[in-house]
Amino acid sequence: MAQPVFPIALCALLLVSACSPPPKISRQTHPLPAGVDTARSEVGRSGGVFIDSSPGEPSTFNPLVSEDATSGGFIGLFLDSLVHNNAVTQEVEPGLAARWDIAPDNRTFTFHLRPGVLWSDGHPFSADDVLFTFQAIYDPRFPNRAAFDLSVDGQKFKVEKIDDLTVRLTTPQIYAPFLETVGGVGLLPKHELEPAFRDGTLLKSWNVSVAQKEPQRLLATGAFRLRSYQPAERIVFEANPHYWRADAQGVRLPYVDFLVTKLVKDANASTLAFATGQTDAEGLSPDNVAWIDRYASRYGFSVFNRGPSPNTGFIWFNQNPGHDTAGKPFVTPYKLAWFTDRRFRQAISHGIDRQGLVRGVLFGRGQPLWGPETPANKKWYNPNVTQYPYDPARSRALLAEAGFQIGPDQKLHDRHGNLVEFTLNSNQENQLRVNMATAFKENMRDLGITVNLSFLDFGTLVGKIQDSYDYEAGMLGLTGGGDPAGGISVFSSKGRLHQWYPNQKTPATSWEARIDQLMSDQLHTLDYPTRKKYFDEVQKIMSDETPYIYLVTANAYVGLKDRWKNIRIPPLGSLVWNLDELWTPLLTP
Amino acid sequence: MIPFILRRLTTLVPMLLAVTLLVFILMSLAPGDFLTPVKAQRDINPALIAELQKSFGLDRPWYQQYALWLGNVLHLDFGYSWTYKVPVAQLIAQRAPATILLSITSLLLAWTLAIPLAVLAAARPGGWIDRLTSAAAYFALAIPEFFLALLAVWMAARTGWFPIGGLTSLDHDFLSPASQFLDIAHHLILPTLVLGLGGVAGTLRVLRANVLDVLQAEYITAARAKGLSEKVVLFRHVLRNALNPLLSTIGYAFAGLLSGSLLVENVMNYPGLGRLVYEAFIREDQFVVLGSVVVACSLLIVGNLLSDLALAWSDPRVRYGR
Repeated sequence: MAQPVFPIALCALLLVSACSPPPKISRQTHPLPAGVDTARSEVGRSGGVFIDSSPGEPSTFNPLVSEDATSGGFIGLFLDSLVHNNAVTQEVEPGLAARWDIAPDNRTFTFHLRPGVLWSDGHPFSADDVLFTFQAIYDPRFPNRAAFDLSVDGQKFKVEKIDDLTVRLTTPQIYAPFLETVGGVGLLPKHELEPAFRDGTLLKSWNVSVAQKEPQRLLATGAFRLRSYQPAERIVFEANPHYWRADAQGVRLPYVDFLVTKLVKDANASTLAFATGQTDAEGLSPDNVAWIDRYASRYGFSVFNRGPSPNTGFIWFNQNPGHDTAGKPFVTPYKLAWFTDRRFRQAISHGIDRQGLVRGVLFGRGQPLWGPETPANKKWYNPNVTQYPYDPARSRALLAEAGFQIGPDQKLHDRHGNLVEFTLNSNQENQLRVNMATAFKENMRDLGITVNLSFLDFGTLVGKIQDSYDYEAGMLGLTGGGDPAGGISVFSSKGRLHQWYPNQKTPATSWEARIDQLMSDQLHTLDYPTRKKYFDEVQKIMSDETPYIYLVTANAYVGLKDRWKNIRIPPLGSLVWNLDELWTPLLTP
Repeated sequence: MIPFILRRLTTLVPMLLAVTLLVFILMSLAPGDFLTPVKAQRDINPALIAELQKSFGLDRPWYQQYALWLGNVLHLDFGYSWTYKVPVAQLIAQRAPATILLSITSLLLAWTLAIPLAVLAAARPGGWIDRLTSAAAYFALAIPEFFLALLAVWMAARTGWFPIGGLTSLDHDFLSPASQFLDIAHHLILPTLVLGLGGVAGTLRVLRANVLDVLQAEYITAARAKGLSEKVVLFRHVLRNALNPLLSTIGYAFAGLLSGSLLVENVMNYPGLGRLVYEAFIREDQFVVLGSVVVACSLLIVGNLLSDLALAWSDPRVRYGR
């Protein structure tokens, strides 16, 4: 009979879901490498499973293919680099290279690799792997992002092997962000990938299909190695038995046995998984903090304020004087005259109630922003930029000075009698931005300016900004942070993301020429104070001339289960900086 | 028989041409392309974007892109996914098992529930089984699948009886094979119900009408007069004849393998083809979209062919071919 089977099966099912035993892992004990790096953090206990979720799917596990942050994050877990950029201190720290020397010419870097480091399959790691990695990156058969980051004006770096544990890299000119860029390059195993390099299939290696079928082929030097990947479900990493770091008592890191990432379809699902106690860590947006905090005691987590995020939000006017192929100007000429007038832009900036935006849109979890970097970028942020506090009277004065006046209809008109009206374009996917645009429209109405809002699909918006230039004003955000070199495409007048007037052949204004000069100068010196001075001036000019009218920056938050010890949360980047040092006294959640 | 099959398969060609052309035109009309998100990142070199554009063929007009794709398809090369850098066929094969599994379980649910219920309902028209199943069937047909899926997720979240979405638990890898099987079964219950319920209702209504029809036939009276038990009459003589029209709908069920589960998979976080295709559409990962459209069309045609063949096999009165 079939009937009695069903209830039994059901009970068994409920049993499975109710008590899943903590997985046991036997750590293979290999001797520590001679060049072991000893962690300075508190000594913990091995074991445990760290669970998080990712709203995006990795598109590849091959660093040469990866263009998105999600894939890059997963690759960074298992592929280590010569040096690390410490996200907490923003300093460069030793990685697979235990130390390095910089020659007096400031162009020659000699890296001394850690002796005794092994790949996760037990094969020794050596200078050959470093050489192989650069060879692969520079090979024209494999177009990749790193090839552009690792060259100056199209010239490649020279890479030489001195001996098995010493590599020398020479840059064609002094290249300021050299260590930071080299720090981002995951080193590839020559013994595993050379056949694919030879037959030209390197970009197809380590794809998602390989990761699913043969995860052990993704060799690791990092703290973890891939154990399994189920598309659209989860990624499981396990402790790399050959990792090169240990704690003060000589116990090999990482402490956690497994790192499980639940793959979910969007950010909401990811936040929900954390709020219901399923995951250990989650980045939270300011509008989610209040309701999530209510579940903190039930699921044993805390919400940490990381301080200002590196994300900037701004409005800008299209200052492109060109015209389309039919001869029609991108911007109506009399409007272009307003947009290129600094006083007009400053008046708009003074007319925006940023404190109101912080209160009304970010629920008080943010702060006004006056320049291109947020305080999150401690190393490069310039606090002494020109500020434009909310002051409608000052706005009106600036507008009057520029020849604008309020007409009998209570609306603002320019000196030729044209009604001041423009359309602000933004993307519809970002609710915070939509709210900010609405508040901006209200602020401008007080000045007699009519703003029409147009919310577009992100693809359409980018098309307008970068290809057709057929718009008046835009509102977007950029993720700042990191080295100033990352901002060249924004600040340089030749830049693709110099949005108010991109791809200029020669700088349109003297201040843009000055910024071009400063951005080029800061790139060609290794001296931090000098670079800081140059970049401070760039930030000052950006705030004086206000081609971008900066709005506010939201704070970033991280939710983390209380059972984890040794936590270091960086202001930028990944949620937890030191995953390998994390440990928990409670092995079951 | 064989000329019939061949004839049916040749109809695939113009249909695939028309459908893929339409999809291609629509995708090229849609704003932005696959590289739009890349263009919006501040630290990507314009030379790399130009290079990618060239390697994807995005710098050419759409008809050239289409011609290129078509040429490759003639060599059975469906292109590769720009997102994953994996051949489309491989990517679809990677995700298909989960979708096929769900389709099979929901089809099984539909048939195992609907067939006995329909026969019992038709045996006593207007009886309590009939009235109850009719009411339930109308109710199930009236609720759209995606809404049912949302309800199921909400129920799972409230009660904790079922996992919220997915096909396996987070600790699936660490379980014994038997527990792994039970884990998957546990995860399959809700999606199967959501996807199968509409099928139960539809099948039930069609089959009930057929059984009623067949019951009027003279050979049934003859069978009863012969002294056969009512059970044998209903399940051997009536059902066998009433099932024929249902066999021809199985083709559509086959075609629904892909399209039917698209909504449900996305609502319920189910790791199948539906999610892959949806994400590919959003990202404008051209070849994955085209590949899945080709698969869906082929399934429709092949499914209909199979059901016609099954009909011929089950009903000696039906013969194809000249």
